[in-house]
Amino acid sequence: MLKPLIPDHLSLITVPALALILVAIFAQYLTPFDPYAQDLTRALTPPDSVNLLGTDRYGRDILSRVIIGSQTTILSALALLAVISIVGSLIGAVCGFKGGRVDTILMRTSDVFLAFPQMVFAIAAAGALGGGLFNAALALALIGWTKYARISRSLTLTIRKMPYIDAAKLAGTGSAGILINHVLPNIAGPILVTAALDIGTIIMELAGLSFLGLGAMPPTAEWGAMMNNGRSMLQTAPWVILSPGFAIFLTVAIFNLLGDKLRDVIDVRGNRN
Amino acid sequence: MKKFLAAMISAGILISGCGGGNSVADDKNTFTYGTVAYGVAMENAGTNPHESYSGWSTIRYGIGETLFKFNEHMELEPWIAESFAQIDDYTVQIKINDAAVFSNGKKVDGEAVKKCLEHLIANHDRAPHDLKISAITADGQTVTITSTEKVPALLNYLSDPYGCIIDIDAGFDDKIVVGTGPYRAVKVTDTQIDLVRNENYWGAVKPKLEKIIVRSITDGDTLTMAMQNGELDAVQGLPYSSLKLFDNDNFKISQVDTSRVYQAAFNFDTPELQDLNVRRAISMAIDKENFTKVLLDGNGTAAVGPFPANLSFGDNAVHAAAYDLDGAKNLLAESGWIDTDGDGYVDKDGKNLELRYLTYTSRQELPLLAEAAQANLKKIGVKLNVNATDNYKTFLRDGEYDIFSKAIVTAPTGDAEYYFTSHIVSGAVDNAGHYDSAEISRLENELHNTFGAANRSALAVQMSQQILDDCALFYASHLRMSFVMKNNVVGFYAHPSDYYEITAELEKK
Repeated sequence: MLKPLIPDHLSLITVPALALILVAIFAQYLTPFDPYAQDLTRALTPPDSVNLLGTDRYGRDILSRVIIGSQTTILSALALLAVISIVGSLIGAVCGFKGGRVDTILMRTSDVFLAFPQMVFAIAAAGALGGGLFNAALALALIGWTKYARISRSLTLTIRKMPYIDAAKLAGTGSAGILINHVLPNIAGPILVTAALDIGTIIMELAGLSFLGLGAMPPTAEWGAMMNNGRSMLQTAPWVILSPGFAIFLTVAIFNLLGDKLRDVIDVRGNRN
Repeated sequence: MKKFLAAMISAGILISGCGGGNSVADDKNTFTYGTVAYGVAMENAGTNPHESYSGWSTIRYGIGETLFKFNEHMELEPWIAESFAQIDDYTVQIKINDAAVFSNGKKVDGEAVKKCLEHLIANHDRAPHDLKISAITADGQTVTITSTEKVPALLNYLSDPYGCIIDIDAGFDDKIVVGTGPYRAVKVTDTQIDLVRNENYWGAVKPKLEKIIVRSITDGDTLTMAMQNGELDAVQGLPYSSLKLFDNDNFKISQVDTSRVYQAAFNFDTPELQDLNVRRAISMAIDKENFTKVLLDGNGTAAVGPFPANLSFGDNAVHAAAYDLDGAKNLLAESGWIDTDGDGYVDKDGKNLELRYLTYTSRQELPLLAEAAQANLKKIGVKLNVNATDNYKTFLRDGEYDIFSKAIVTAPTGDAEYYFTSHIVSGAVDNAGHYDSAEISRLENELHNTFGAANRSALAVQMSQQILDDCALFYASHLRMSFVMKNNVVGFYAHPSDYYEITAELEKK
């Protein structure tokens, strides 16, 4: 299923996305200055040949903070996405396959979570949990799994009636075996597409919580928190807020385009249409 | 093309929406004031001075007045009272100005003041402990107050905003009280106070404006933009970084040093902080000058002790260890804190010196101080984990902090005792560090029984010096308060007390 991705459909968009992830992974080796070192004598220096993106109110190099911030922002978002998509899909697959009381209980639970506007719920949960990047991610995870559970359940319901599932049952394969060997591989494609399209949203939501002071704590370099720090200086020192803002814009745009491309490649029904 | 047109129309609506709203502020008889200092979070929503800190709103917005007021040097002057006489250590007699009337036209006599003060001590949380009143008697324009014990600062306490004289018989309906100020409240909510001119105002200068709207705007950027687009006539609490936007001919700025200090208390329950060397090293590593100059944009003065230099018992009279990173490192080394594993942090018995720094964000300067302190202390190998949360009271209650930083007005009544009894003496409500000093207790006891400003000032200096010698807290900076106003606004000045704002002199030219 993934074969068409390489090389024919390898879009130009994959390269910057991979580059972003690499930057995030190796961020500490790429920063020109210590992103946490304060130098008040150079506070709020506009972009120049020394500090290419200028400095913030503590005299910290913004370029270094944007680079190290990619680690916090992108890797946290990817980790969170991995957790909610795997957990959500497993729950949905079990519900779809087992049906009965398990299905009813889990799906009604997901209905309850779906009744809340996602960001409002996340703000309330992060606030109640006490802030911090982990708690912000936990707040988003609490409500984020439901989408994957719904998708995976509906896909599993379709697959459950397929002849090859009946054949596996006749061959004596247990429920767990059927789920792992036959159901999950067949629902992986649409789940992957949904997850890819979600990366941008998750990055925005995590950055949003940090912007509100409910995510990364000082002095952690995180794009949302950096934007919040520069908020009051939008008119007097705009480079402080524009750099992390542009980083969020660029990253979300790249991952959204990547998600679109993945959908075109993986989503067979979409291609037929 | 249709899409383009729709986009242009939407943009037009958006832009016109952003630019509107200045019609009220253009009216010369109406003054619109935006402030970050009013609201439920500040515990001053409403105008009933007998509730929490609401008296600050009653005084700030010109609704009420106290018996005495403070001048620019925080010395007492008559206001509703005309004079006083100290009968003995326990009794003071106050003569009420014969001209004083409430905004409903009722005369302010001894009986009205007695009724107000009795209601105050029956209902307020702090006043009874400060005033220690045993009896109040009224005779014509005279009120005699007797205390259960010596209260040398009684007149100062009576000049606290909670001592605002209101007409108790007029009631407290809809959070509105009847005071003697130049304006009277007609509508009070948790986010806005609407005032109109007090036609019965008794003062020599009569109020000039017909209407004043006080709006609570807690977001600094919203406040900045509302002032820029002309929706407001004056603002209080702008972010420091925004002040330079108003440094031009269209606006005026009134600034004054206040006794609000940014301080941090060491938690004496933390074993590492029970060592004086560690506390002193941390105090010496805080770069107060640069914090004030750069992070506060010069809107303050680097602090030595709890009180600003304009007070006789302030910073000019005390001394603390200067900023000295090498000295701080030596002190840590003396106590065995050395970086043995080369990780950049000092350690002892295999454990790094790592401390939890608790503060809150509703005062914009506190998170800045937290991050500055974090970077400062890293230079001497102390790791600071900052927890800046408005849920800080839970952490305080649970003891989950090693250093607690807050902003506090240390001399709201021009007298030092309030600060010591509320924050410093053993068992005080806000003694977050659980600091317990026998010498402080002895001096406080002496201060409590000492009359006369000079003697009290000398004791306050001794107590402040004791705190600094013990390094029980460190003091970073004293706040400079700023009001920004349109250039046609006159009679609007920042006052060091932090609670005289709207007066009869205010007008729009």
